[in-house]
Amino acid sequence: MEDLLDMLEKVNQLSLTDEEKAVAAGYFAATEKDFATFSAVDTDGVEPMVHVMPLENVLREDVSSQPFTREDLQKGAPEAEDGYWEVPRLIE
Amino acid sequence: MEYEVVIGLEVHCELATNSKIFCACSAKYGAEANEHVCPACCGMPGMLPIVNKRVVDLGMTAGMMLNCHINRKTTFDKKNYYYPDLPAAYQTTQLFAPICVNGRVDIETSKGKKSVRIKQIHMEEDAGKLVHDDWRDLTMVDYNRTSVPLVEIVSQPDLSSAEEVVAYLERLRSLLRFAKVSDCRWEQGSMRCDVNLSVREKGSDKLGVRTEMKNMNSLAAITRAIEYETARHIDAIVNKTEELVQETRRWDDEKGKSFAMRTKETAGDYRYFPDPNVMPVVIDDTWYNRIKDSLPEFPEVKKARYMDELGLGDFDATSLVESRAFCDVFEAAYAECGLAKDAANWILKDCANLLNRNQMTADMLSIDGRALGKLIRLVADEKVGRANAKFILAEIFAGATDPEKIAVEKGFIVSNDTSLIEKVVVDIVAADPKSVADYKGGKEKAFMALFGKCMRELKGNCNPQVLRELLLKEIDKA
Ligand SMILES: [Zn+2]
Repeated sequence: MEDLLDMLEKVNQLSLTDEEKAVAAGYFAATEKDFATFSAVDTDGVEPMVHVMPLENVLREDVSSQPFTREDLQKGAPEAEDGYWEVPRLIE
Repeated sequence: MEYEVVIGLEVHCELATNSKIFCACSAKYGAEANEHVCPACCGMPGMLPIVNKRVVDLGMTAGMMLNCHINRKTTFDKKNYYYPDLPAAYQTTQLFAPICVNGRVDIETSKGKKSVRIKQIHMEEDAGKLVHDDWRDLTMVDYNRTSVPLVEIVSQPDLSSAEEVVAYLERLRSLLRFAKVSDCRWEQGSMRCDVNLSVREKGSDKLGVRTEMKNMNSLAAITRAIEYETARHIDAIVNKTEELVQETRRWDDEKGKSFAMRTKETAGDYRYFPDPNVMPVVIDDTWYNRIKDSLPEFPEVKKARYMDELGLGDFDATSLVESRAFCDVFEAAYAECGLAKDAANWILKDCANLLNRNQMTADMLSIDGRALGKLIRLVADEKVGRANAKFILAEIFAGATDPEKIAVEKGFIVSNDTSLIEKVVVDIVAADPKSVADYKGGKEKAFMALFGKCMRELKGNCNPQVLRELLLKEIDKA
């Protein structure tokens, strides 16, 4: 559990306090228990469900349109200039 | 001890669609920064992706060209990671049921023929572009490329030299361009390649430590990188110069070296899971067969047919099948005029010249092939002179479809009225006794001068053979 939480903290770019970690550990323990219950069920011969909604082929035709301007989209940006969003420099 | 290199490739190709994979933004290359963006491809919360049907068409087409099995039920998954070029902090891709699996690409090198197995082809969205500004010490983000549709073609580790890799990539590029899946332009990033490489003792069935070089974008750089990495691996194994670790490395083509990057997150760290916002795509027989029926002949099949059935030479046939656009125009022109060699010449010389002059590539030839065929017929029937035909070709290149109409309007139709030619010949000969005397004195050039004057006077609209005979006769009389 400790390892899992460390990994998730790292990949989600979070930094959790010990208290927050304890709360999260509780959630994950409950979830693990649920999965243990599922795993005990005999699913031989059951086709895997790929989606909870009984919908398929929600598709669109390949037609392009541009109803938004970049000015609209960049209104909420903390930093934007010359049409670009700007973020702190990334080191390669 | 002998060593061998084992290489697998992941090739990304941007698909030739009008719009992006999950939103209606334009997928065209070359716009101003962030001109092709909307709340969906900018990763704004609450936006729902809707799959572009054409992307599935092209994904299937790619798979069929590479002898793959097509998954009739295909689904999308989320791959999660944080980076500013990925505004939603996940990439929608395919892991559990990709569109194509288990394919094959046949290649030929100096060592002979070989089949390279394709593990899978999946559809996914591209990431944005980052521009690092050293001066202001920040990074600028352009989301035009975000959500542009890609296929990623994953090979098995079946390749064992740079030469084989180049042959494989050229074959892929040829097939995908032929089927109009992608324009596969390395220089524009619409074709990119990740190289996975390891070295082992020759004959061993155990793979060595694998390193990956991402986002390679030219055949020359790929060749150099493979040669460098192979030598580095062998040196590490034989001379213990370093301990090889599984990692992603950056290839610096200027320095001719690869450099370790920060350790790659393992697959588990991407926390792939089915994307609940994208419904499964089910391909029924009608859809499957529509794509199957739309596949082009393979380039080598076309080439053989051009040579065996249409009588073209190796050079012409090879040059035509370099480009699907050339083939399409050629076949339409041939169907109209029935003159294969002429059609090939007009495309490979005259059309190629026009493309060149307009800084366009062969694949950008989009003229009406039937119009070209009609023009070739007019020239073959000696109704339009060759110089004037070139003028008409330029009009066809600009979109015209009726060469005969242009010929009539411009007065290009060759006159069969020999009395008009005779009149011109008589006038020219009478007006230039010096050239006549020179010719009679043995100067061949003087004849060409007279001939040229007559041609100009007739605006090119006469049968050169007829003019020649009448002119010689008139000179004799003079
Ligand atoms: Zn968009």
